[in-house]
Amino acid sequence: MKSKKWVPYAFLALPLLMYSIWVIFPILQTLYLSFTNWDGVSPELSFIGWDNFKLLFQDPYFRISLWNNIKWLIGFAGISVPLGLLIAMLLDQKFKGSKIYKTLMYLPMTLSFVVIGQIWSWILEPRCGALNSFLGIFGLKSVGWLSDPNIVTYSLIMAASWRQISYAMVLYLAGLKQVPKELVEAAWVDGANWWKRFIYIILPMLRPATVVAVTVSVIDSLRAFDIVYVLTRGGPFYSSSVMANYMYIMAFNNYRMGYGSAIATIQFLITLGFIVFYMRNVLKKEEAL
Amino acid sequence: MKKVLFVLLVISIAVSLLGAQKLVINSYMSDPAPKRVFAELVEQFKADHPDIEVTVNTFAHEDFKTLLRTWLNSSSAPDVVTWFAGERMRYFASKGLLEPIDDIFKDGFEAYFPGAFKSASTYGDHIYFVPQSWYWWGVYYRKSIFEKLGLTIPVNWYQFLNTCEKLKEAGYIPITIGTKYLWTAAGWFDYLDMRVNGLEYHLKLTNGEIEYTDKGVKKVFEYWQQLVDAGYFINNHTSYSWQDAANYLFTGDAAMYLMGQFIKDVAPESVKDDLDFFRFPVINGEIGLYEDTPIDGFMIPAKAQNKEAAKIFLEFIASKEAQEYFASNLGRLAANKDVPAPDAHAQKGLEMILASDGVMQFYDRDTNPEMATAGMNGFVEFMVYPGRINFILNNLEIERLRIFK
Repeated sequence: MKSKKWVPYAFLALPLLMYSIWVIFPILQTLYLSFTNWDGVSPELSFIGWDNFKLLFQDPYFRISLWNNIKWLIGFAGISVPLGLLIAMLLDQKFKGSKIYKTLMYLPMTLSFVVIGQIWSWILEPRCGALNSFLGIFGLKSVGWLSDPNIVTYSLIMAASWRQISYAMVLYLAGLKQVPKELVEAAWVDGANWWKRFIYIILPMLRPATVVAVTVSVIDSLRAFDIVYVLTRGGPFYSSSVMANYMYIMAFNNYRMGYGSAIATIQFLITLGFIVFYMRNVLKKEEAL
Repeated sequence: MKKVLFVLLVISIAVSLLGAQKLVINSYMSDPAPKRVFAELVEQFKADHPDIEVTVNTFAHEDFKTLLRTWLNSSSAPDVVTWFAGERMRYFASKGLLEPIDDIFKDGFEAYFPGAFKSASTYGDHIYFVPQSWYWWGVYYRKSIFEKLGLTIPVNWYQFLNTCEKLKEAGYIPITIGTKYLWTAAGWFDYLDMRVNGLEYHLKLTNGEIEYTDKGVKKVFEYWQQLVDAGYFINNHTSYSWQDAANYLFTGDAAMYLMGQFIKDVAPESVKDDLDFFRFPVINGEIGLYEDTPIDGFMIPAKAQNKEAAKIFLEFIASKEAQEYFASNLGRLAANKDVPAPDAHAQKGLEMILASDGVMQFYDRDTNPEMATAGMNGFVEFMVYPGRINFILNNLEIERLRIFK
């Protein structure tokens, strides 16, 4: 029998080709541009070596953007995933109207981030927005959700989490269906309380869902752009800016494509580092299993 | 037989489509009123030139500014684009991305437009820009509020502060502003600088010839700080677009707004007649009266597909009839010097400008685009944290040295 080792490669050839053209090549091109001073407009550019990166590490606005991405990482991933799990566990039980609740909780996922941004810009409007009016009922002072430089990033994370929670919930609802009821019942019979059942049986069985939820949330927090751009453009004066937003302004508003590419490169390397680190850890554990 | 007829039909349609010239216009007139009027103008052009198929693509105003860069570099660039005169235009002309249009003006630029507009439409030896309309900036206010409180129009700075104080005591927001997209703050900077330091100084500053840490610049912010510290500006202005902030003027919560004439484009009918403007108050009586008069118009990308049709369109735009139609329907001032002011409001604006000693375009049209972004961010940061002024000016100075080196 002829060895058909080439068959898998033949199948992979076309997708790999498309991936190379649409993903790999642009990445390499951006990496190249980050070593130039191209303004995105002129036909000429010149190679300037590490200058963009040197400038980047002295740039206070880039530092603010990076720091905001870290806040996003902790806030966005750190809130959405556990809350999604909590809601999924609550809704997994059979009670009257559970289907309706599931549908309602699912709805934010159907909206694009741009639409979510628009909705939240109305909710967070300082004088007559829903949130401040609500606070007003209890006699609390209006908060400058999007205008106070100290809290604006947290307001944005809140708006983005609103949607991410429903995403995590959907993943966990599917994952919970995979947990064998017999294992949980056996543990209950053996006298394990609710907390022990959760930690030792349910959570480990949810690992695939957790991997996806955390990975996606981490990537989304590092590449956050839509919500930031629609709600504040990174303002006031860059206090809510994230790397993707700063890169966009530098590359397309300020005609500094080379500098923007350098920012994109840094963002890419950070995200890549996170994902490689996380996947390695998870894959190691799975092999051990 | 049917097959033959069908093929002939397809061929004849294809030929007629190929025969028709295509003209693609990209426009930033996304506010409803100018969008409608411009569409009507294009219909007039199509009636005169039935062999040209015109497509107008309208983009959200703020997004257009970012997209233009891409179009000018694309091999299938649009044929005509709306844009601003001054540095904003020159930036692209200097990179060879615009088509010179001297041949449109058969009797010369000055036969159509005031000589004062020529430099803003020119780069080097060539003209790249056709002005369509221009407008003035002023302090727009609600007449009914002023009448109710018995306020007179402030002429100098002290009177202006007094007016603000009286408004505040009566429970109104003295000055509304929306700084989410930054440029509204630049309006305040422009006027304060022109009133405190004069036109020559402001011109040199926007040209990158004066340090941002200069004493003159600091003085501008001292005056600005009087307004910020007294709380005359609306709260949370960093979360408002200029239209959001204008709403407070329309609802009667706020009394004044330093803004361009186009505020009337978005004013509801019931409020339009209650809006009037006055010249920005005088600070130093020895310095002349200088105003911002941004000029809007059109230009042709160097990579346009159909430059002949584009030039025909621009000739139409420069004509007295087209300019009059656009200006009269929107209450603006036509760039064409043969067109009279369309209404009493515009007449007042025209007279104010004619009585002035000089004009600038606007901060983000007079200076390098990158400097403009940095500058405007600095102005907004000052309005929120006036104590940081030295830090802000130092940063702007670093940017200036890097950009204008």
